[in-house]
Amino acid sequence: MTGPVVVTGLGVVCAAGCGPAAFAAGLRSGRSAVTDDGSGALAAAVSGFSLPGALSALPGLPAAMRDRAVRAAGRAPLPLQAALAAALQAWDSARLAGGAPPASRIAVVVGGHNLGGQHADEVRPRFAASPAYLPGRYALRYLDTDHVGTVSEVLGLAGEGFTVGGASASGNVAIICGARLVAAGDADACLVIGALTRLSAMERQAFVNLGALATAAPGADPASRCRPFDAGHCGFVPGEGAACLVLESARSAGGRGATPWATVAGYAQRLDGNSQADPDAAGEAAVMTEALRRAGIPAGQVDYVSTHGTGSRLGDETELAALRTVFGDDFGRPWLNATKGLTGHCLCAAGVVEAVATLIQLREGFVHPNPNLDHPIDPVARFAGPSPEPAGLRVALSNGFGFGGINTSVVFTRAAA
Amino acid sequence: MTDNILAAIARSVRTVLPEIGPDQVRQDRSLSDLGCNSVDRAEVVSLTMEDLGIDVPVNAFSGVTDIGTLADLLRAYA
Repeated sequence: MTGPVVVTGLGVVCAAGCGPAAFAAGLRSGRSAVTDDGSGALAAAVSGFSLPGALSALPGLPAAMRDRAVRAAGRAPLPLQAALAAALQAWDSARLAGGAPPASRIAVVVGGHNLGGQHADEVRPRFAASPAYLPGRYALRYLDTDHVGTVSEVLGLAGEGFTVGGASASGNVAIICGARLVAAGDADACLVIGALTRLSAMERQAFVNLGALATAAPGADPASRCRPFDAGHCGFVPGEGAACLVLESARSAGGRGATPWATVAGYAQRLDGNSQADPDAAGEAAVMTEALRRAGIPAGQVDYVSTHGTGSRLGDETELAALRTVFGDDFGRPWLNATKGLTGHCLCAAGVVEAVATLIQLREGFVHPNPNLDHPIDPVARFAGPSPEPAGLRVALSNGFGFGGINTSVVFTRAAA
Repeated sequence: MTDNILAAIARSVRTVLPEIGPDQVRQDRSLSDLGCNSVDRAEVVSLTMEDLGIDVPVNAFSGVTDIGTLADLLRAYA
């Protein structure tokens, strides 16, 4: 072990903003990015994104890196472009361009799996017209690890690299994995990327048929349909988003004078022993309690919980039951927020997108609004309402729970100013 | 006919490598000379076949050495 792991850089591309500054503004606005795609399907889609646009917003990037990004991903599907843009933002904000730590000591962990479903839908008509028209490049693009290879090529990274998966907990699984690599001394820094998940038509329909997706309602504003912890909650809304954290050993960050956003103070993951879409309050409570125990922080000192809160009836109720168990008499103390109400459910990327949201709120001292929380399902829980609230936050817990009984929780503590 | 095929190859090359100028795609040059790696070359070929609406078996490309011989092969199937 080499001591504490800190966060030294952030990047994000999602429906609520491209880049940490725009995302911070999106969080403060409390505007739900959910829209109707015209066919009655609800989604929080990234709009107005282009890789050249995202690159031009980062004037400090070396010109050669910019050229490599265009060469490697200029024609790539949105998930890869968004992941690369988020990685470049995080790289830039962590000021890693100076050559320290060396490339061989920087790892890449991508959280996400089954990332190519919609790309397969896009390519399939060409294959159907003639198998010869299928681009050979599809042999690379269908691999989730294309994210690892492309990011490493553009940034010139030569440490460890791989993907990890945990359904909707994938982002937190990646943060945990990256923190372990750095804590074990196997890397000085690790780019942890939550990969943008675009559901294929069949994947999306399976969620509809399962009754898991919120659907458009006659006369209702699409932006009102994602309602975590509200009595009117009726399922999740998919959100497009990619995000990146640069995790770094405190020694490496201190050695090069980097300013950390926060410390990864603790984490835990455990399984319910359950293959279903059936959340379990005991498993959820166990990871929160264990993450806090490892951080050495009593539950009563938690200021903010970034809930998994998707807007699923069962999921929201189960998480509140777990939070009651963890916090006991302090249940009403921490702010509880549901970032998915603004961004949609970014699926594999959610844990990283919401870590970015959490760190922005820790640093800037506010909690973002929950715009659709008209009738909270719990009278005691401390939810933010329709306006942002100023809040001095130091300790945050960020939850991610996935189908198949995958429970994760990560504790972040704000770095001293 | 050859001109149409060369034009289609040039369009495909410039789709894959936008920085290539139209007059750089000449019969005496190879796709590798223009900066195409193996994945780029495969994509130029499939894009060109799709553009021309022709279907050439993959193993027929083994004798292709430059853009001229690629155009000749595609012309044989056009």
